[in-house]
Amino acid sequence: MLGGLGALGMTTLTGVLAAPRTAAAQAVGVQETVEVALKRFFGTRPLQDGSRLIKLEVPLIAENGAVVPVAVQVESPMTPGNHVKHIYIVADKNRIPIVSRVTLSPAAGQAFVGENIRLGETGDVRAIVEQSDGTLFQVKREVRVTVSGCAA
Amino acid sequence: MSDVGKVRLRVPSTIKPGDVVRVRALVIHPMERVEVDKQGKAIAKNYNYINKVVVTYLGKTVATIETSQSVSENPFLSFTFRATDPGPLTVTFTDTHCGKYEGTADIKFS
Repeated sequence: MLGGLGALGMTTLTGVLAAPRTAAAQAVGVQETVEVALKRFFGTRPLQDGSRLIKLEVPLIAENGAVVPVAVQVESPMTPGNHVKHIYIVADKNRIPIVSRVTLSPAAGQAFVGENIRLGETGDVRAIVEQSDGTLFQVKREVRVTVSGCAA
Repeated sequence: MSDVGKVRLRVPSTIKPGDVVRVRALVIHPMERVEVDKQGKAIAKNYNYINKVVVTYLGKTVATIETSQSVSENPFLSFTFRATDPGPLTVTFTDTHCGKYEGTADIKFS
């Protein structure tokens, strides 16, 4: 924990980064179970079914768990009043379930993110979307992993 | 290893003003995995992985991506932005060992 804080202090020195580096900003790469992680990020806020809004592209079978392409696209007008604020990519069975958190601004024009992630074992991959008004949507899909991405 | 920190950005060759442009970014980085001891417990140490990616266009932040060790080695990301004016698009990767890697693409209209 202390080491993490030290690194945090050092990186702030490099400047340029507009977003404030709070403890929460460092909160992504934590080893925990997915239930704990979701509780930590969203508390008791309900996760609505977002299958109408969110397009989650994952392979059905991942032959190599070390590199699994994931793409998330959300239908949104992306105006300052109504845009997608965060996209979370969550891999339920990973040691670190919150794979990444994307913070978007309306200048992105489209709520889209693609990433190559690791998967330790067969399990659900979720995309959780937080709109600018605070509502949460999620979709999930199971991915079968043939060769583990190992301890990620 | 010497390639660590090399950033490659790919933007479409033709961009019109007002287009939503999809950009692909790649950085060469080991993204160390969590190591586990014999009891299956994770070893706590300062792993070297990229934990923050910032995309700026014309000096404004378009997107911030916080990543963890669950992201693959040599992270490959794609994202979009709305091209309004010609100018630089910069992607900055920051890792936990204070490394900072930058890639810039000049957005020009044809």
